[in-house]
Amino acid sequence: MKKELDRREFVKIGGVVTAGTAVGLGLPLLPLYRASAQGEVADRSGKRWGMVIDVGKCKDDCTACVDACRKENNVALFGDPRFDIHWIRKAKISRRVENAREISAPLLCNQCDDPPCALVCPVQATYKRKDGIVIVDKHRCIGCRYCLIACPYNMRMFNFKSNHVRYNETYPTRAHGVSESCNFCSHLVDQGMQPACVEACKQAGGGAMVFGDLNDSSSEVAKLVASRRIRGLREDLGTKPKVFYIGL
Amino acid sequence: MKIEFAPLEGRSPQFYLFMLVLFGVAGAGLFATYLMYSQGLYVTGMSNRVPWGLSIVMAIYYIGLSAGSLVLSAMSALFGRKEFKPFARIAALLAMLLLVGALLSIILDWGKPDRVFVPFLHFNFASMFSINGILYSTYIAICFVYLLAMFAEKEKLVTAIALIAVIWAVGVHSGTGAIFGFVPRELFQSPLLPPSFIAAALSSGTALMILLLQLLFRYTKRPFDQQYVKELSRLLAVFIIVVAYFVFVENSFRAYLIGHRESAWYFLFGGPHSLVFWVGLIGLGIVVPGLILFTPATKNSIKMINVAAILHVIGVLCERYIIVIPGQTHPAEILPNMNVESVALDGAVVGYSISFLEVIQALGIAAIVALAFMLGLKIFAMLPTKALIEDEAS
Repeated sequence: MKKELDRREFVKIGGVVTAGTAVGLGLPLLPLYRASAQGEVADRSGKRWGMVIDVGKCKDDCTACVDACRKENNVALFGDPRFDIHWIRKAKISRRVENAREISAPLLCNQCDDPPCALVCPVQATYKRKDGIVIVDKHRCIGCRYCLIACPYNMRMFNFKSNHVRYNETYPTRAHGVSESCNFCSHLVDQGMQPACVEACKQAGGGAMVFGDLNDSSSEVAKLVASRRIRGLREDLGTKPKVFYIGL
Repeated sequence: MKIEFAPLEGRSPQFYLFMLVLFGVAGAGLFATYLMYSQGLYVTGMSNRVPWGLSIVMAIYYIGLSAGSLVLSAMSALFGRKEFKPFARIAALLAMLLLVGALLSIILDWGKPDRVFVPFLHFNFASMFSINGILYSTYIAICFVYLLAMFAEKEKLVTAIALIAVIWAVGVHSGTGAIFGFVPRELFQSPLLPPSFIAAALSSGTALMILLLQLLFRYTKRPFDQQYVKELSRLLAVFIIVVAYFVFVENSFRAYLIGHRESAWYFLFGGPHSLVFWVGLIGLGIVVPGLILFTPATKNSIKMINVAAILHVIGVLCERYIIVIPGQTHPAEILPNMNVESVALDGAVVGYSISFLEVIQALGIAAIVALAFMLGLKIFAMLPTKALIEDEAS
């Protein structure tokens, strides 16, 4: 080698490269700040769908919501807990003390306002609609399963097997290799109906689930949120869940 | 002294046999991948609770290993250690191919690998996967340009690109750590993961180079100065101490913080992964190689250095395993301090056993990387005809 790189030149090259890298690495983060600065955006229709579940009214052995969800959305059971898909499930919950009372409540996608699953999705297959519903574009999903890792509620499910059950002829089945989760029955909600689980709970269950527009202060769900002691799951994480529980 | 490079002879029966074996393993790996792709990923050991398995472990392992190559190749261009210049070309080639191996591991693990073009059409700049996709592919491109510059023998350009590559590597390794560290789950979330990922990347990569250089020069019967091994082993010793320090800080943080004690206990003593941690990472990866490399009686023995390097390469593979797996087998705390029980295994500790197909796929990808590396050496003049320290220093 004829000539060593002198210090001046080194600093010059180093400076340019460092600045370039900083800008290069920093730029991608810009949309993040913009998104968080906007806060909760209302959709053109101004709707923001949410749910309140009164745990006291949820019957212990009732699975009306779960069954209705499977039938409406063709959610698959393979008979293997590793691959079974659950959009909504009944959980037995008890405090970690002796003789704790066991309560029963449905767990479903919390439709977070800041959804970690959508945050990490590399192709924006998972995204939040303007009315707040978190939804998966199964034709875009590459099946990387980062959303399953990121969801702090374990509500994301992956199609390890092809799912050909077709209880509902009007709803599609799924090929293996894509992820999914509850989407508040967006196809029903868009037609002005209630999600299948809420309807079933009203008809066959304890009437524990209330669904509606959180932005409409006269709606039942908004009134419950305003007047009752409610909690979302792991609100400490800042995910801003839109499924709330009374009595949990 | 001018360094002379020459392609591999590659005419011996052993060479052809080795290439044939690599071809076979690569083929088997691709067949395993085909089975996963056509049947669905249920043929693996993964599940809805443990959606990331061996291929993600291997991907981040490969990414880490590439750091050692880059350090070696930047030694002469950036840090003035001219005696390491003979290895700059093979090291840059390996850094590039290991990243390709990592990308293969990730993409072939997707549920829909045929949608490989989708990430190019739809970015999500908030996703660590998107950011890393950009970082990895640009890094591969930088390594390629770096190689071209070295072949053109443009010294200044080589130095400039080496600098860019080193800075880019920091991004690549930090970004990989951030895939896990920036996720709001108990055993993942940690701002320490990006830097500790870099530390283990440097140490495992250096250990790999120690072994690889000796193998390459032995089997090509080209003169090789054992002093190189000693030099690199000192570097390895320092890196191992840094890795140990990060492991200590991370675990004492978890064990100390009130809210993390339960998961810290699970991590350290709660399952099969704890054995991987204590025996694999702490024992084989840190304590034994550390003792070998710092004990005066053994630290200058080439044999013992090789033992340390082999153990450390295995130890860091174990480290990658415990980055990925325990954070998933440990249940998400949906309701802290409550027992939650459901058909979806909420609140339950689950297991993950690596399936045969995943192992075959992982071996296949390793074989593809090795195959490409050997072909690179055979076609292009990358391996120096000799590597002797006195020659280069003068």
